Amino acid sequence: MELIALYGLNLVYTIAVLALVVLGLAVVFGLLGVMNMAHGEFIMLGAYSALIIQQAGLPYILALPMAVLVCGTVGFLVEYAVIRHLYRRPFDTLLATWGLAILIRKAVEGAFGRDYKSIEQRLPGTVSVLGVDYPAYRLALLVVIVALFAGLLIWYRRSNTGARIKAMVQNPALASAVGIDTAFLSRATFIFGVSVAGLAGVLLAPLVRVEPYMGLDYLLSSFFILVVGGLGSLEGLLVGSTVIGGTDVVVSAISDKTAGYLSILIISILFLWLRPNGLYAKR
Amino acid sequence: MQRREFVKTAIGLAALAGIVAKPFGATAFAADPVKVGILIPLSGPAGLFGPSSQMSAQLAVDEINAAGGLLGRMIEPEFVDVGGPPADATQAALKLWKGQKAEAFIGMHDSAVRGALTNLFKGQVPYIYTPVYEGGECSAGTYVLGETPSQQLEPVIPWLSAEKGITKWYLIGNDYNWPRDTNAAAKAYIEAAGGSVVGEEYLPFTVDNFDSSLAKIKESGADGVLITLVGGASVGFNRAFASFGLADDVVRLGTLIEENTLAGIGAENSKNLFSSAGYFASIDTPAAKAFADKYKAKNGADAPALNALGQSVYDGVLLLDALAKKTGSLDASAMDAAAEGTSYDGPRGSATLSGRHVSKDIFLAEADGASFNVIQTFSNVDAGNNCG
Amino acid sequence: MRSVSGLALIGLLAVPFIWDSFTAYQLGLYILYGMVGQGIALCWGRAGFLPLGQALFFGIGAYLAGSVLRSEPGWLLIVVAFAVACLVPALLAWIIGALVFNRQTGSGPYFSLITLALAMLGFQLANSMEWLTGGFNGMTGIGGLPGIDTYETLYFVIVGVFACTSIALAHVLRSPFGQLLSAVRENEDRLQFFGFNTGLLKAFAFAVSAAIAGLAGALYAPHQGIVTPQAVGFLLSAELVIWTAVGGRASLAGPVIGAVLIGFLAAGLRDDFRYWEVVVALVFIIVVLRLPLGIAGFLSQMLRMIGITVDRPRKPERTNELPPNSSEAAPDLRFVDVYAAAGPVKILNGLDIAIKHRGIHCIIGPNGAGKTSTLNAMTGKLPIVGGSIHWQGRDVSDIRPYLAASLGIGRKFQVPSVFTGLTIRQNIDIALWANRLSLSDQFSMEPYRWKTALLDRLETRFPFLRDDDQLAGALSVGQRQMLDFAMTFVTEPDLVLLDEPCAGLSTAETRQMIEAIAALNTETRSTSIIIEHDMDVVEQLSDHVIVMHNGTLLANGTLQEVRDNPDVKKVYAGGTK
Repeated sequence: MELIALYGLNLVYTIAVLALVVLGLAVVFGLLGVMNMAHGEFIMLGAYSALIIQQAGLPYILALPMAVLVCGTVGFLVEYAVIRHLYRRPFDTLLATWGLAILIRKAVEGAFGRDYKSIEQRLPGTVSVLGVDYPAYRLALLVVIVALFAGLLIWYRRSNTGARIKAMVQNPALASAVGIDTAFLSRATFIFGVSVAGLAGVLLAPLVRVEPYMGLDYLLSSFFILVVGGLGSLEGLLVGSTVIGGTDVVVSAISDKTAGYLSILIISILFLWLRPNGLYAKR
Repeated sequence: MQRREFVKTAIGLAALAGIVAKPFGATAFAADPVKVGILIPLSGPAGLFGPSSQMSAQLAVDEINAAGGLLGRMIEPEFVDVGGPPADATQAALKLWKGQKAEAFIGMHDSAVRGALTNLFKGQVPYIYTPVYEGGECSAGTYVLGETPSQQLEPVIPWLSAEKGITKWYLIGNDYNWPRDTNAAAKAYIEAAGGSVVGEEYLPFTVDNFDSSLAKIKESGADGVLITLVGGASVGFNRAFASFGLADDVVRLGTLIEENTLAGIGAENSKNLFSSAGYFASIDTPAAKAFADKYKAKNGADAPALNALGQSVYDGVLLLDALAKKTGSLDASAMDAAAEGTSYDGPRGSATLSGRHVSKDIFLAEADGASFNVIQTFSNVDAGNNCG
Repeated sequence: MRSVSGLALIGLLAVPFIWDSFTAYQLGLYILYGMVGQGIALCWGRAGFLPLGQALFFGIGAYLAGSVLRSEPGWLLIVVAFAVACLVPALLAWIIGALVFNRQTGSGPYFSLITLALAMLGFQLANSMEWLTGGFNGMTGIGGLPGIDTYETLYFVIVGVFACTSIALAHVLRSPFGQLLSAVRENEDRLQFFGFNTGLLKAFAFAVSAAIAGLAGALYAPHQGIVTPQAVGFLLSAELVIWTAVGGRASLAGPVIGAVLIGFLAAGLRDDFRYWEVVVALVFIIVVLRLPLGIAGFLSQMLRMIGITVDRPRKPERTNELPPNSSEAAPDLRFVDVYAAAGPVKILNGLDIAIKHRGIHCIIGPNGAGKTSTLNAMTGKLPIVGGSIHWQGRDVSDIRPYLAASLGIGRKFQVPSVFTGLTIRQNIDIALWANRLSLSDQFSMEPYRWKTALLDRLETRFPFLRDDDQLAGALSVGQRQMLDFAMTFVTEPDLVLLDEPCAGLSTAETRQMIEAIAALNTETRSTSIIIEHDMDVVEQLSDHVIVMHNGTLLANGTLQEVRDNPDVKKVYAGGTK
């Protein structure tokens, strides 16, 4: 019974973290069509923002604005120098951001060194839930993620910005004709997306390894989640995270991690083949 | 279209002919200095160990040169990045060997690169392989300095089992040769020590979520975990392990948890964590302390942390010196004939070459916050049978 | 021209003598990577779809050849092993391509991500299946080719194989098959309406690229003496694409230039400069931003600027006249109670139409009546949810577009749809090949000589069609309409579907078009269905008029008959819609 509760908690946690990690890419790839291979590097920048705050001895909560500042600045520069020339050329964004990913990794390596950094555990210790001792920080993180997504869902449905981005993506010419500043909106969307990735990095940093190459872990699974779920909607993102995260947790529990990893790849291939528009396809 | 494509090919290739590979024209005069290729990862997943390897090697080179050199010739170290796939490493080594006439090689890299290099060298040039590895290398001209599974585990498992009362072991590693071979060896020692293996699991390199493994460890009731995860995976696993509160009751033993990995794991996650290796930065012997002091003096207080992998290259240079002295030359076949029984003293203690491997001291350390305390030294442990 | 490629070959062969044998050894590896890149260029630069997991095929070839070479076999066995190392990847790629492209047209990221996932799958399997591959440490002990020194003479074998595959690839690119791949890239939908199964074309191109990758991998095994999972993985796959992009994806030389340049750049920098990856990364960001056709494209542009043009070779004269292609049978088209919907909107609502006479049939009706949808339904563009459609006794209710075309249904869209990146000559070639090109013709140069009597007449009628080297994209809208129209008729279809053929034409052009339609319909004895709003046009052309309203047939008969029909009067007098 306890074991089932543990697996259940792990399942929920895994899905939530995947959704958090993918969110930034969902904005950049799902809305703008930029195949951002540097997505993981922005998560890494977020984690290093947390490191800066920790080394300065400041309260951890300040890592969040720090990550927005760092990722926003880098995002602005990247958009201005590279991305804005490449909208609607997805394969080229893939290549250019692959190069950017290397640049960002090397810049961080130059500034902080190649070695592993340890972000102190926040809320150490465990809390008993459903008879299972579960790490307190994870539970807190779950609450934050759920609140974040609830807020986003409400905001995106209600706000004009969401509609504008949708309009711009579906028909850029028309959008600019009706007075939407597409260049500005694209830039803002890109910066928003990479900043969200940075925030994910801050939130995850106390749990994971922190080093310049950590971003690769998050990159490919993020793409698969997006395509399985369907691009351009928060619901699709959640569905994708559930399918990929669920497959991994269940298969890894029954068999082993290698089988879990292989089944993620196979499921992704099947979805890409049979349901390329995703489970939660937009009409 | 074809003709146009073809012409483009032609023009492109003709253009290339002017650019290709000009730096390799200069051949070295095989005069006084002796070039030694030092193959270390400066990029890629193991790039973390590049700087400490390079600094350790440089230290040994400086010492030997100050004492008159290798067979009276100054060592000129050529540091080459072999952090990429084997194909890149062979290119680099070949360039060094045939182009710059390097006369010996010392390598600190993964086994895939080693396989490619032994195939390249074919025993024609002395090659010393320094890091921890799975055992079994027996190619001509190749000398292995690194710890084998039997060295790291044969004395350690019985001692730790008895000391900490471990009977149920869970074996977890990355899904490749070294962890599998290490665990195969571990099983015999666990059984001999009266324990049992309650679980064995291999994780792909890409894994960053260890929840299912942790649940299985919990479920299995293991009181000891043998960790052969490498690098980032080891950091991630150990952090998650501690966050679930498992560290209080379950002992962890790693055979590749060195100072950098421990720093990544973090002080508050390192309770009951043990590591078995031929070197730790905190070894409390005069030789080791002298080495650590020289390293700090030369490279500053902020130098990359000393660790078993990086330091192994220092020993690699010492071993090369000892082999050359005993042979009287750097000729690979002469060296092969004379090598058996060669010994030298270094920061790790004294070591003796036997069956292309070295018998040496093995240290068991316990993590104390973010540093290691050596709690037990096992003297002159044999590397086991590698040429069977 | 050939002498230039000959010079390049001599240059390559001279490398070991000008520099040294290990520089050549190094170059050999980059040439192997460049060969894989050539396959990527075939798929990406030519056909427009990007394979992201090409290392999978490279690695399979390497493991296959490696496992045979471990046992020091004789030449016969080696040749067989190399053939297998080409065929297995080719077959695998063909199956993947056929499965994926059969379901998806276009060149979105999905196919690319599938190939990427397959490469990751391959890497993990190579890593885990230690008994087969040697695991992470690799398959070791792979011997060289008998009698060939790996570090001295293997380079010449590689150059020889590379020359052969380059010549073969150049032929493939020049052949009708290569031109069809260009058409896939330019306008896959339109190509399907010429009766080409574009999914299979792409699958075949993918298979060719995999075969080359497999062959390069097979040579990689003796070159390296070891094969590790990295040879299959995602990183090598990505690098191969990057080399191709940097060198230039639009030519055969580009990928090789890219692989060799970046290879030597990285190898040279690697030892002296710790941040060498930064340089490489900057190089290809700049290439992506500034040189979309890579270094090769840049070089040929430079040459053009200093006055050296690498001329497009002239196509052979059209000398071989083909017999007419149209069938003698009377038309028999029937819509029986057809329903179709897009989401909640009903488009066709129990439509019944029967056409049994040659001549020109005009469909008229208000906007939203379902006119274009009717044409879509019979050509596989719109799935129907009820009823059935028959052409010449055959049920075409859920036919694929390319099959509709092969049954003699030709179609011209309202917006002119031509292959804008291709020349007029190439556009017409493709139309001429529709329903005529056999598999072996696709790789022969003979189809470039084809002509028909009808083509002659069309060229007389529209003289600009003789302007062979003009790009279709550079034509005026009116000329594009006429090109599209001419291409539709060149296929000599039994049933021609024309959607507002006079849209966007000037008065003079409209008159020309009407004459052309009337004349060609008579000459080819075909049956035309024309959607038209302009009642003058209808009056001049129609033998029979079909009036549609709300997805159903409202009336049909001669123009006078439908004009007198009270229902039609009601609708056109500003009735319901």
